[in-house]
Amino acid sequence: MRKITMRTALMEALNEEMERDETTVLFGEDVGKFGGINAVTKGLYEKFGGTRVFDTPIAEPTIVAAAVGMAITGNARPIPELQFGDFVGIAFDEVFNKMGKWRFMHGGQMEMPVTLRLPIGIAGGAGPEHSQSPQALFMHGPGLQIVIPSTPYDAKGLLKTAIRDNNAVLFFEHKVLYDMKGEVPEDEYLIPFGKADIKKEGDDVTIIATALQVHTALDAAEELSAKGVEVEVIDPRTLAPLDMETILQSVKKTGRVLIVHEEPKTGGSGAEIAAQIQEQALFDLSAPIKRLGSPDVPIAQSIYLEPFYTPSKEQIVQAVDELMEY
Amino acid sequence: MAKTYEKDIKLNDYSKEVLTDFYKTMAKIRKFDENLIRLMQEGKVSGFYHSGIGSEGLSAGSIRQNLRDEDYIFYNHRGCNQKIAKGVPLSKIYGDFLGTIEGTTRGLGAGIVHSADPARGVLGQAGTIGSQLGISVGTAYTSKLTGTDQVTVVYFGDGAASREMLHGSLNWAGLYKLPVIYICENNEYAISCHVSETHAVKENIADWAEGYGIPNCVVDGNDVLLMHEVVKEAVERAKRGEGPTFIEAQTFRHRGHFEGDPYDYVDVEVLQGWKDKKDPIKNFAAKLMLEKIVSEEDLESINAEIDSEIAEAIEKAESAPLPDPKRIYEGLFA
Repeated sequence: MRKITMRTALMEALNEEMERDETTVLFGEDVGKFGGINAVTKGLYEKFGGTRVFDTPIAEPTIVAAAVGMAITGNARPIPELQFGDFVGIAFDEVFNKMGKWRFMHGGQMEMPVTLRLPIGIAGGAGPEHSQSPQALFMHGPGLQIVIPSTPYDAKGLLKTAIRDNNAVLFFEHKVLYDMKGEVPEDEYLIPFGKADIKKEGDDVTIIATALQVHTALDAAEELSAKGVEVEVIDPRTLAPLDMETILQSVKKTGRVLIVHEEPKTGGSGAEIAAQIQEQALFDLSAPIKRLGSPDVPIAQSIYLEPFYTPSKEQIVQAVDELMEY
Repeated sequence: MAKTYEKDIKLNDYSKEVLTDFYKTMAKIRKFDENLIRLMQEGKVSGFYHSGIGSEGLSAGSIRQNLRDEDYIFYNHRGCNQKIAKGVPLSKIYGDFLGTIEGTTRGLGAGIVHSADPARGVLGQAGTIGSQLGISVGTAYTSKLTGTDQVTVVYFGDGAASREMLHGSLNWAGLYKLPVIYICENNEYAISCHVSETHAVKENIADWAEGYGIPNCVVDGNDVLLMHEVVKEAVERAKRGEGPTFIEAQTFRHRGHFEGDPYDYVDVEVLQGWKDKKDPIKNFAAKLMLEKIVSEEDLESINAEIDSEIAEAIEKAESAPLPDPKRIYEGLFA
């Protein structure tokens, strides 16, 4: 099968969905002629014109509010982008209270077909406000679906589903993954929300990881396999809805759980997953649930300090070794 | 600086039917409001209510005979005035206040904000005042995207005009020449703070629009016909593709910000002056009678009709059941 980068996979999804549905409209800072600072929207302006693909002022609250306004008319399917996922803080009310709750608080009379794209993650000295992974904040916000792909295949299939969905989607893209290549079929496919993917099967320890950490976990899995420990790596792919069924099935089999993400450990998505595992499968566990996340301090600008924020292969191997002692 | 909108309006330029419609809409808004306050006093409606008494002309004049069902409005914090003018059934609005399934939210309940009637272009309202300013550029952009002549009218008070979102919104509307009409209902007070204490303006809030190249004016919001004319021009401009208009409509609230507000921050004589001399309904009725377009008996019969319409609406809303508590798990997603 052909191999393409996640950037190309996302670009293909946008192209195909904008061709398919002429009510789609894409906008954000520098996404038009320039093609986006991550070059994901390159060529769309030329292809679909300046009304359907447009550059906006640097105004995140207005970008998201406008998307909400477009969506509730029932006549448009907006695909806005915030240049950095961190900037979601600037538009927090629009995302948390308007995108997430407008439909419900008006009695379910309107739909919210918005796909908000948010590039996230530590990616080379961008500092405390251009490197974060804020997705867990929105697990607390009803009405928001949270998508976080780890491969080009997943990114394409999930983005296509997101755009066609009539509900709000926050689509988090880890910046380091843009250049990562993976197999993507030429033929069209969609990936449903709420369906985790088992990236590697194993009987000894369940590792639940998202985004870039899926790859770190797979690297660790290889090293562990050489030592005779077979881990199962599960990528939830969407944090809301969350596929607990797949996770619990794995926990039943392994009895040992490690959750790894780049989000800060405290209140990260792993906290919710761990809580649900102990609520529903405490007696399947033979060891305490372990979590690896970034330290609970702001991300330092220094390129020297930055790697200490990202869970490493060594940390994962060590955590699994500790779990195997039980 | 924003100019004051003036126009020599002759009643004869309007049909009796249209003039009566303006009167009837204003009277309906006021009676709706008075009855809602009664329901609150009887303990049947809880929460905050921001009475729109004293500013009925602003909503009736801007909406009636100007906007179609497919034109969008975003109402403000005294938004029952605009919802009624746009034709949302009274029983639905009362139903939202009473929390019965007759309400537009089918029992979730809504105060002034969160009721919606998409079929009549009423797409709801945010609880965080001023947020509608951002959302309205989205609805207006959609008209451009789909090539329709639908306009968006966004209402907000002088208080909401302090929200940062106003500037984001004006910038987009001016930049993309969006068919949106800003109506700032300036009743001078954001709860207790006078507009002069919270806004850095040359003279009027409408002056801000000038900086974005948006045509703007100040208008007497209590003159229903003047409101009608100024908005009519703005709607026509929007439909011609010439972009947004900013209208600062000056008015005053007869009651406090919310029911229970002591309203002691306003000079008693100033308030009395607005009630005696600038009541939009009283003044319009007097004008209609002076020019013999309607008689006192005509108005009495209109009022009696409204009274029974309201009684019926309340009866319908009150007699509808409260929702099953499971209602809260319905409709989060489409």
